[in-house]
Amino acid sequence: MVGAGIVLYLVTFIVIVPLLWIVLLSFENSSRILSDPFSLSQLSLANYRSVFATVNLLLLYKNTLVLVVCSVLIVVTVSFMLSYALTRMTFRHPLIRSGLRTLFLSGLAVPVYILLFPVYKLDIAFHLFGTYASLIVPYVAVQISFDTLLLTGFLAGFPGEIEHAAFVDGCGLYSLLRYVVAPIMRPALVTVVIFNAVYAWNEFPFAVTLIQKPSLTTIALGVSEFQGQYVVDYGAMMAAATLVLVPQLMFYALFQKKVVAGMTLGAVTG
Amino acid sequence: MSFLSTRWRICVMVTPALLFYVPFVVLPVALSAYYSLTSFSGIGRSKFVGLTNYTSLFHDTFFWISFRNTGIILVEALILLVPAAFCLALLMRDRRVPGAQAARALIFAPVIIAPILVGLIFVFILDPNIGLVNQALGALGIHDKPQWIGGATFTPYAVGFVYMWQTMGFIMTIFYAGLQMLPREVFEAATVDGARYRDQVRYITIPLLRDTFGICTVLVITGVFRIFELVYELTGGGPVHDSDVLTSYMYYLTFTTFRYGYGMALAVVICLLSIGIFSLYLFTAARRRDKVRMIGNE
Repeated sequence: MVGAGIVLYLVTFIVIVPLLWIVLLSFENSSRILSDPFSLSQLSLANYRSVFATVNLLLLYKNTLVLVVCSVLIVVTVSFMLSYALTRMTFRHPLIRSGLRTLFLSGLAVPVYILLFPVYKLDIAFHLFGTYASLIVPYVAVQISFDTLLLTGFLAGFPGEIEHAAFVDGCGLYSLLRYVVAPIMRPALVTVVIFNAVYAWNEFPFAVTLIQKPSLTTIALGVSEFQGQYVVDYGAMMAAATLVLVPQLMFYALFQKKVVAGMTLGAVTG
Repeated sequence: MSFLSTRWRICVMVTPALLFYVPFVVLPVALSAYYSLTSFSGIGRSKFVGLTNYTSLFHDTFFWISFRNTGIILVEALILLVPAAFCLALLMRDRRVPGAQAARALIFAPVIIAPILVGLIFVFILDPNIGLVNQALGALGIHDKPQWIGGATFTPYAVGFVYMWQTMGFIMTIFYAGLQMLPREVFEAATVDGARYRDQVRYITIPLLRDTFGICTVLVITGVFRIFELVYELTGGGPVHDSDVLTSYMYYLTFTTFRYGYGMALAVVICLLSIGIFSLYLFTAARRRDKVRMIGNE
């Protein structure tokens, strides 16, 4: 069916064009962008030079990386322990287990925006404001629900005989979790890590609300400031955007198979 | 595993999650509900005003504007995004089309990009003066160029389009995965019985994918209610809130005008709206599923 191919290519083209346009513009002078953006003459790296001189990209990347690594490590560990307890352990009273499960899963229905102002107040109250922790803690908190959903779903999907056997062989809880359960759960854990990393990397509402110090700016926050910072220097804006875009796309290209597999795992089982 | 489940061990496993979740998710929701009943302005004491904030919201023109805009985007996404993603997924499966694998990877790419960056990118596509679309139209000789963003009419539709651009790959991939899992024998039997492709899709594929359609609809609904960065970048809320959506208007109320109580009332409304639509959909989906089950048992 030739028609199918054409439609597919057309859609792919429409999807790609905005990205290509940005990259093209990043090599053009700002006045050319306004008057004659389609011509391919006079392309230069001038914009990139000015971006490196003005925006502290290194700082943005450093801050974002710290937030991503810390929040992902913490949330995956915490959710893993919680999910294991909720699926495999017996509780003194069965209502406690279902109560906890409902508590944590209902977080999925809560939109982040309702949390912004109270978390702002809480950060100040706990003296976290102005530190990395002021963001890491909310990032962890809001992702527990999703991670728990995925991990409990996965764990419920296979019986605990292997764990039982390991225990009979004298395995303690910590070793059990680390050497038996975690390896079995690798696909789900990888999925959860990828989701959490992408979330933290791109996160904006909490960042724009809780970050006041310029030294803590993240990539997402930095991008939102491009328009104010560069005003009419469109070329520089495009160069800066490309510098943020390209690493994200490279990350995607490298992990593409895993990312897509993770999304489908989550969607179909979750 | 009762042998593992001493009280101590359970506590150790569950407490860390509680330590993060209760203070930073449960408590804030309760606090928001509380603040929504006051006229708190950020400093000093708060004055309890009961449901005044909610009644003011009802009379607030800007609230209804942002409500309308969110609704437009929601309808646009449900009518266009989900069916289009489904059709694309079907196209992907056609083995005679070369490069389907690459197309799939490319169409999915926007999902990874930070929404704030997507907003910035599309400023340079949709802006009436410097955007690609109008520049291209100008090169073709058209001079009466529409105001895609920043104008009064097209903006919500433009925001919806950008949302679809970013989410298309995601929904399409979910459908693709669902299609992969369908049993081939059913389709082979249908082909043997003489069913055309069109009919197979309509009478076999779509009913079998009912749950997947459900998941995608829920994802789109909750996703639309979370749109914020796109509006922030594309229009900043538009000329006098004309292009605000519920979330961006709430942000404006809370953090720009410091009317915390009022802003929290809106936040609670948004929360209830999204939970409401979510539950409504789940309810009707469950009814349909039970009906199917009943028919299957006959």
